[in-house]
Amino acid sequence: MNNFFKTTLTLAKIGDGYRYIWYRNFLQFRRTFFVSLFWVILEPLMYLGAIGFGVGSYINNIKGQSYIDFFFPGLLCSTAMMVPFFEGTYTNFTKLTFQKIYQHILLTRITPQEIVFGEMLWATSKGYFGVLGLSLIALFLGLIQDWHFILILIVLLITCWLFSCLAMLITSVAKNYDSFIYATSGFIIPMSLISGLYFPIEQQPLLLQIIAYILPLSHSIDLCRAILRHDFMDYRLYLHISYLLFMSYALYNLSSYKITKKLIR
Amino acid sequence: MSLDTAIETKHIIKKYNDFVAVNGVDLKVIKGECFGLLGPNGAGKSSLMKMMYCHSVITEGELFVLGLNAKKNFREIKSKIGVVPQDNLLDSDFNAIDNLRLFAKYQQIDDYTAAETIRSLLKLLKLEDFANSEIETLSGGTQRRLAIARALINSPEIIFLDEPTTGLDPQSRLWLWNFMKQVKEMNGTIFLTTHYIEEAEELCDRVAIMDRGKILCVDQPRILIKQHIGDEIIEFFSNPVDLNYYLNRLKEFNYEYQVYNNMVLVFLKSGQDSKKIFDIIKSEKVTVRKPSLNDVFLKLAGYNLRDE
Repeated sequence: MNNFFKTTLTLAKIGDGYRYIWYRNFLQFRRTFFVSLFWVILEPLMYLGAIGFGVGSYINNIKGQSYIDFFFPGLLCSTAMMVPFFEGTYTNFTKLTFQKIYQHILLTRITPQEIVFGEMLWATSKGYFGVLGLSLIALFLGLIQDWHFILILIVLLITCWLFSCLAMLITSVAKNYDSFIYATSGFIIPMSLISGLYFPIEQQPLLLQIIAYILPLSHSIDLCRAILRHDFMDYRLYLHISYLLFMSYALYNLSSYKITKKLIR
Repeated sequence: MSLDTAIETKHIIKKYNDFVAVNGVDLKVIKGECFGLLGPNGAGKSSLMKMMYCHSVITEGELFVLGLNAKKNFREIKSKIGVVPQDNLLDSDFNAIDNLRLFAKYQQIDDYTAAETIRSLLKLLKLEDFANSEIETLSGGTQRRLAIARALINSPEIIFLDEPTTGLDPQSRLWLWNFMKQVKEMNGTIFLTTHYIEEAEELCDRVAIMDRGKILCVDQPRILIKQHIGDEIIEFFSNPVDLNYYLNRLKEFNYEYQVYNNMVLVFLKSGQDSKKIFDIIKSEKVTVRKPSLNDVFLKLAGYNLRDE
């Protein structure tokens, strides 16, 4: 147990090799730009249309605001979760096992820690690309009118990082692609349903509320909404941010440790 | 450690859980030589080599590459060596030239030098026509050449080749042998593993025969043959009934021999007379031949088939 805390809390030393990992992924991203564009930005945009505007048109008022105003910060958080999660699981698992790209990179002076850090940074960047794209469209749609939105962008960056770390952790323990189906259908999707993305968390039975607050997405969504409400005096806002920061830190260390052990045996 | 030592291992051990892949190996590879690690599948060759190119954790013992400790200075080591792994390990998301460019980036070579080096390597390894080809469209031989080009990108002091000609057609193999001879002439140190005896005989200045995680012998191929076999080999078949008689007679005259199924191999040391043997043996299928490294290998490692 002592060892567990040591590996979870000690930050690994990182050289600048991570930049080249990021660069490799960027080159590939540039080649497959339109595929990425489609699922990274257009998919959340469809949700915005169907749920936000479509379903939302039947709801006059939710916690004192219009449904689209309620839904949009949640959608941003869910984008910040989904994109890094899929990048960190399916894509990285393929690189780790079938393509053996990490083994290839390890022939050079780049260390496993740098590979992990570079990959997480990349998954974060891609998630953030989705977030920024969606925000830009929302700006044109008139959904963003408050400069506090800049603060939300910081929260979303942390969220992207957190989920890219979580994805890497799942990749490190995955046996095959089925593992990710469990992780997606058994964890990510249910989490998005109970974390207050579509309706307020308080609407649910107590047990689900508790589970929602154990998991990270609810904190991210609540935090974004609190910022847009200018609820800066509310102590819960600071609990949320502490939770997100701690989880980002711990998950990064744990997943870095696990992948490193898997890469160099 | 002297300055002309390229690689030195001191009782190095590699364990995978309970399985001991490398069991206490002491080796010294001199700069400028081509050193071959010969052994059957599963002998521990790749495991030993992976520790040398810092791709695998050393369980016990000490390992120095170019005077650097492999446990601590793996970054420096990796920047001074080139590796051609068994399965090439190319990046299938990019074409040939981008593979080289990215690898140069990983090795932190500046763009200008990298571009120059890549141009000359493509020419040297006859890859110019394939520069923009995707990896999966390349043949096995071309992929191997690309992996070699990649290994040379940082002008390494040692090149590691893991089973370099396994799975290649005869033409590619011959080309590769000639290429490695060129590298040798340029005073490069080569460390290779192989289970092709001809390859070891053709290329290697010194050879170590490895089996079950241990080094059985190390020396020049010529000396190993002389030491373990002798000058000539006499080979004959015998039916099981007569076999015992022959073996007793051979023992009588102090001949060293080895039996494999119904085949008897008699090793003639220098000074021993072959005439006596022809007097003893009445079999019609007797052949006299020069011994090869293959005979040393089979004598030391045995004749049994190995699992992968």
